[in-house]
Amino acid sequence: MGTARYIARRLIFSLCLIIGVSIILFTMINAIGNPIEVLLAERPGITEEMIQAVTEYYGLHGSVTDRYFTWIWALLRLDFGTSIIYNLPVSEMLVTYGLETLKIQVPAILIALCVSVLISVLAATRQYSRVDFGVIAGAMVGHSLPGFLLGIILILVFSYTLGILPSYGAYSTRNPLWGSDMADALWHMVLPVGMLVFFNCATLTLLLRSSLVDVLRQDFITAARASGLPERRVVFGHALRNAFIPVLTYLGILFGLMLGTAPVTETVFTWPGLGALYIMAIQQLDYPLIMGATMVITVMLVTATLLTDIAYVAIDPRIRLG
Amino acid sequence: MLSTLASASSPVTAAPPAPLLEVRDLRVHFFVREGVVRAVDGVDFRVNPGETLGIVGESGSGKTVSSMSIMRLVPPPARNVGGQILFEGEDLLAKTPDEMEALRGRRIAMIFQNPATSLNPIYSIGAQLGEILRWHLKLSRAEADARVVELLTLVGISDPATRLRQFPHELSGGMKQRVGIARALLCNPSLVLADEPTTALDVTIQAQILELLADLQARLKMSMVLVTHDMGVVARMAHRITVMYAGRVCESADAATIFNAPQHPYTRALLESMPRIDQSYTGTKRQPLPTIAGRPPNLLNPPPGCRFHDRCPEASAECRRLLPLETTIAPGHSVSCLKRGSEGIAA
Repeated sequence: MGTARYIARRLIFSLCLIIGVSIILFTMINAIGNPIEVLLAERPGITEEMIQAVTEYYGLHGSVTDRYFTWIWALLRLDFGTSIIYNLPVSEMLVTYGLETLKIQVPAILIALCVSVLISVLAATRQYSRVDFGVIAGAMVGHSLPGFLLGIILILVFSYTLGILPSYGAYSTRNPLWGSDMADALWHMVLPVGMLVFFNCATLTLLLRSSLVDVLRQDFITAARASGLPERRVVFGHALRNAFIPVLTYLGILFGLMLGTAPVTETVFTWPGLGALYIMAIQQLDYPLIMGATMVITVMLVTATLLTDIAYVAIDPRIRLG
Repeated sequence: MLSTLASASSPVTAAPPAPLLEVRDLRVHFFVREGVVRAVDGVDFRVNPGETLGIVGESGSGKTVSSMSIMRLVPPPARNVGGQILFEGEDLLAKTPDEMEALRGRRIAMIFQNPATSLNPIYSIGAQLGEILRWHLKLSRAEADARVVELLTLVGISDPATRLRQFPHELSGGMKQRVGIARALLCNPSLVLADEPTTALDVTIQAQILELLADLQARLKMSMVLVTHDMGVVARMAHRITVMYAGRVCESADAATIFNAPQHPYTRALLESMPRIDQSYTGTKRQPLPTIAGRPPNLLNPPPGCRFHDRCPEASAECRRLLPLETTIAPGHSVSCLKRGSEGIAA
């Protein structure tokens, strides 16, 4: 079974998955009710003609199947419709807000990965020591702490008390830090990224530490030591790569879902990101926005899963594609 | 070098050669919550150049811990609490971690019990064996590959150039153990420690691997410590045998003496409980295979006296009180038993 054939098969499967999600999404949004009624409810002076016009403007006339294919066809042309609340093209909003989310999520995941590798090595190589118990306790706290609580604490300490970091937004409205937009953007990123790093780190460390503890007990680690390889190479070269295999799935999900998994962080820090926007769209039944965001997140997750599976093959020769 | 000179100058009297490895009064204890487990409690043995020492004993007798402590690789909560391990005249227990790292794999190497778990599953054979060569001998990638191919050929692996690029899961169990042996021999070590090297293998493969080890040992004139619970294996492989029981040495002698004139009651019982091909254990004329009644003592709080006294047919009151010390009863033959003239200490 060649790698190319495997990838082709997985791509077809992924496509089916995306189509399935689109059908379920479309059906559910339809089941919620007529958005036009919500939109025009309790407004005085609404005539039948106006309702007709708005319905046609949003493409809500015609049968359900007709509307589904109209929607899919539009999606393929990257036309996600117009947001009801913002009256802006959804595609534009997804890009603008999505990029803001990626700006905090990508660094947060990468930093958390590096930090958790270091912490896990520190703890696993000293199993049952005070350091190890401290790391486990810290990771458990991070794992179970409600997200908003840490956010509020961070704001209280760094913004309110110390006054050194901004508590909200991605940019200063005027007077950027040191007169530089770049520095200003980074300055605003510190707290939300820090919060995400903490939570990602907690989970990654729990997973990686226990995996590493298991691997370090294996015979081939003793064999590597007995071959005279220095401890650094035994741990980082031989143990860590093996320990990483079970963590890969979680990392894939972390990347795949990153557009939608930061609503709490984005809300606490009033960050103009997709997660918070998505929640708001659901609350206000802004259906073009809900559908657009859901489809983008679905495609991201499916792609990340596919990449994870390919990464498995790269890291573990025992896994055969097929 | 010295030993050759010595034997050349005194061909008749044949003074015992300077041992390559001499373990003196080795003590390795496990510090667990319940107390101190005396897994290895005053063990002496020696390995002469070009000789195979078989360390025999049942599970928990301390034989594996002894061999691991030669490498200074006993895992916590075990700790070396005393003794000397003299290798080529240097005390390994006095060496720094860096000095030990430089020594492991280069001058002392190890063959592991389970070939399925002692090779790293995610690196190719060439990568993991080559890494050792490049580290110790600073060989280039190509030189390392050539040396690995040479070693794989030596251990009887066909098509070594292909094997170089294969991963452990692509090889059979016997083949993996051959790779494990090749790994131990990469840097031409003067001492190889083999811990139950055939226990995890099929019986037919066991024979092949033992034959290979015996052949390599003779051809490369290396010294070997063979740790096993299998009397049949030591009978085939070992020049000298050390019998261990409950963290202490019972008897040490050359293989012929151990098998033909064993002195220690434990050694005798062990040999009697080996199945014999001329004896019937089933059918009408059957008689049961002799076993040693009882269990080894708990090493957490070992009883006073000889460790073997409660299972020993010859035990007397003083055996319950005094711990026998190792005594040489004939050249190259030592035994720890009050009934064989050993001195005893109250412990």
